[in-house]
Amino acid sequence: MSITPYLTLAAILFCIGLYGALSKKNAIIVLLSIELMLNAVNLNLIAFAKYGPKPGLAGQIFSLFNITVAAAEVAVGIAILINLYRNRGTTDVTDMDTMKR
Amino acid sequence: MANDFTSYAWLVPLFPLLAFLVLIAAGRQLREAGAYISIVAMLASFVLALLIFFERLGHTTDYTWNQLKWLTIGDFQLNMGFEVTNLNALMLVIVTLVSLLVNIYSKGYMHGDERVNVFFSYIQLFSFAMLGLVISVNVLELYIFWELVGVCSFLLVGFWYFKPEARAAAKKAFIVTRVGDVGLFLGMLLLFWYMPGHSLDFSAIHNAFSQGKIDPSIATWIAILVFVGAMGKSGQFPLHTWLPDAMEGPTPISALIHAATMVAAGVYLVARTMDIFQASPDAMLVVAYVGGFTAIFAATIGTAQNDIKRVLAYSTVSQLGYMMMALGLGAATAGIFHLFTHAFFKALLFLGAGSVIHAVHTQDIREMGGLAGKMKITAWTFAIGALALSGIVPLSGFWSKDAILSAAFEHNQLLFWVGLIAAFFTAFYMARLFFLVFAGKPRSDAHAHESPAPFTFPLVVLAVLAVIAGFVFTPFNGWLGHWLGDHAEAETANWTVMILSTLAGLLGIGLGYVMYGKNSVSRDIVAGNAPWLYTLVYRKYYIDELYDVVFVRGLRLIGKAFELFDIYIVDGIVRLCSAAVVGIGRLGLRLQNGQVQTYGLATLLGLLILALALAGRRFFHLG
Amino acid sequence: MLDRLIGFLSSGENLVFFVFSLVAICGAIFMISLTRVVHMVMALALTFLSLGGIYITLGAEFVGWVQVLIYAGAITILMIFGIMMTRHRGEAETEPQRPWHNGLLLVGAIVLFGILFYVIQNATITPQSAPVDPKDNTLQIGQLLFNQYVIPFEIMSVLLTVAFIGAIVVAKREED
Repeated sequence: MSITPYLTLAAILFCIGLYGALSKKNAIIVLLSIELMLNAVNLNLIAFAKYGPKPGLAGQIFSLFNITVAAAEVAVGIAILINLYRNRGTTDVTDMDTMKR
Repeated sequence: MANDFTSYAWLVPLFPLLAFLVLIAAGRQLREAGAYISIVAMLASFVLALLIFFERLGHTTDYTWNQLKWLTIGDFQLNMGFEVTNLNALMLVIVTLVSLLVNIYSKGYMHGDERVNVFFSYIQLFSFAMLGLVISVNVLELYIFWELVGVCSFLLVGFWYFKPEARAAAKKAFIVTRVGDVGLFLGMLLLFWYMPGHSLDFSAIHNAFSQGKIDPSIATWIAILVFVGAMGKSGQFPLHTWLPDAMEGPTPISALIHAATMVAAGVYLVARTMDIFQASPDAMLVVAYVGGFTAIFAATIGTAQNDIKRVLAYSTVSQLGYMMMALGLGAATAGIFHLFTHAFFKALLFLGAGSVIHAVHTQDIREMGGLAGKMKITAWTFAIGALALSGIVPLSGFWSKDAILSAAFEHNQLLFWVGLIAAFFTAFYMARLFFLVFAGKPRSDAHAHESPAPFTFPLVVLAVLAVIAGFVFTPFNGWLGHWLGDHAEAETANWTVMILSTLAGLLGIGLGYVMYGKNSVSRDIVAGNAPWLYTLVYRKYYIDELYDVVFVRGLRLIGKAFELFDIYIVDGIVRLCSAAVVGIGRLGLRLQNGQVQTYGLATLLGLLILALALAGRRFFHLG
Repeated sequence: MLDRLIGFLSSGENLVFFVFSLVAICGAIFMISLTRVVHMVMALALTFLSLGGIYITLGAEFVGWVQVLIYAGAITILMIFGIMMTRHRGEAETEPQRPWHNGLLLVGAIVLFGILFYVIQNATITPQSAPVDPKDNTLQIGQLLFNQYVIPFEIMSVLLTVAFIGAIVVAKREED
């Protein structure tokens, strides 16, 4: 077993996540897609921790930090979305273009 | 003798310049005071010029001050300054006197014009330029003032810019004289190139050419190019066409241009650089023949014109031809003398014409007549001017014309007869003008009356000068020639020439009297028997039409082609650029739609392009 | 081709990886293609779970369980709460009609994957030492976190605190 299948799986998940993040209309699904991309990165970190040039635990610890940051991001993101919905009545990202004006 | 006043000669042009600055800065607020400021400034200049003139009497050494460092290129250094010679002093007096009288006259003539102070400021600038030109110490300084004179004539001829003819005349004056200016400029470059030490000072030019340090063929080229410049300014054939058209300007300006400033500049230039011409007999011959031809050519045109000012304009062209002829014959004193006397009687005639125009509100002499009874002062002074111009003893014009003709008689018989015939025509058209305007019955019902004092005062002063100015240089009294340092002048009275020129003048006047005064000979005798001749002369030998066909049309065609090129090629490229920028802007605007996802997509695509470029580079490097 | 696949799947670890990765990809694709929001979240929860399984096969048991707890548990629940709070009335998602946008995006994503795949296939990553297979993964991570990585750990805890307080402040009703 080598590192290549893990990296390929991570690339597939990352690209799907990217597509979702840039094409979906619902802000919550966009957030979810971003989570998927973060997970792809975590998979890379852990795969390298085992099969990389220098095997060790540093990659796992990094992925832990990553998960923490992702949790914080989701919490704040959902809070912002709820507030936005309360003020503008929509979670559609195509309507969120007030910065243009 | 001390140079007490001469060392302050630089103040003479400075007074008009100050007046110009004051008028241009505060013209609208000054109202009536503008005219007085001009007159006072001009008076100050005139008094100073007169003091300098009297101080110069008995002097022959020149006063030069050229300590103003203007330009340093390597070893070459160009200094500016001023120079007072006897010729300069005389010119200063002529210019300031005529300018002063024109200023006084304009006070009356331009009364009520709302841009009167602008007009006065232009006159001041004009006088400043001409005075600066006169006391210039080197050719470059002269050239600067020379161009300034050209600009002022453009401004003043086009003063009534709301008239399309005035606009066209101003442009014509500027462009035609510019042709001459190019000649002068090229001559100046040649001079700079071949002069020892690249000096452009008049004194250095005098030394170099009189000692024969310059190759004669080069001297010929320089002289002819300088003369081209003088042709443009002094209205010599074939660059004379602007001068009659310049009559579209206000009449005082015509007097100023014709008597003292603009056209005198050309004659003065040739007289000032006489050393160059004397180094080249060929150039002298060219000057003499061009002058002689212009004299008779313009005189014949003058006989068939119906505009009072145009008759006088062609008369000026003709008289300038006389001056050039004299200079070309080596009789510099005679030329300058004619310039001197001509300044007075031509200014007088123009101001008189202005007075007439002011009274009857037309410029067509066929609509005038019988004005002698109503405008006594104008009629008498105009008569004196006309007689002086016709060369009748003992008025000033007789003596100056006699000096030229006797020089021609000695050196070149052909030019003598040309000059004599021109004198006959001169007398004829002046008689025609006078009798049509002042004699006979009124041909229109305009209620003419004598003009007020600002008109008549300069007329009287100039009339007196036109009578007495000739006595400074007669065959019996060669004072002017001595003073100007021209020792080659023959001072013996040449009775043949005197009698012939007087006869020519009397014959012309007599013919004019029988044709236009008594009507005993039909005035249509030429037009009836030889209509082609009359038409030819009336249309000024079709010179304007010829220029129109040869130069104007061709240039206009080229201009049209370039215009099309400009519109479709140059503008096309410009519009293409702007359209491309606008298009890119539109695209950018569509990208900047506020949608974060679009930005993300653009970022992704950019990243991909970068990655592919990098990969492609490596790929091609490797294989 | 098929022989190699069968050979690949004959190993137990490989079989587990194959199953989990298949589930993860399917979950991700369902997340993209489903129309109801709640179903999307559920599909992604499946992906998160299978990723946790892959972590465990990679010898990262602790991270695997954290993945299951936080992603499949906390974040998914949070998402569902978010969906409920923003009242979707159960209607189907209508995707915006942006053919240029979506087409370009699809091409871009596929090209990106192509580049990544090319790079991954051509990269040679040789371990300098044998893969460690620690006996007690959780103990070692704990020791590292409280020794070598104690400062990042503390900073991370501050970040979490700030984030949660911030989330509460932002989401709170103004009139409360």
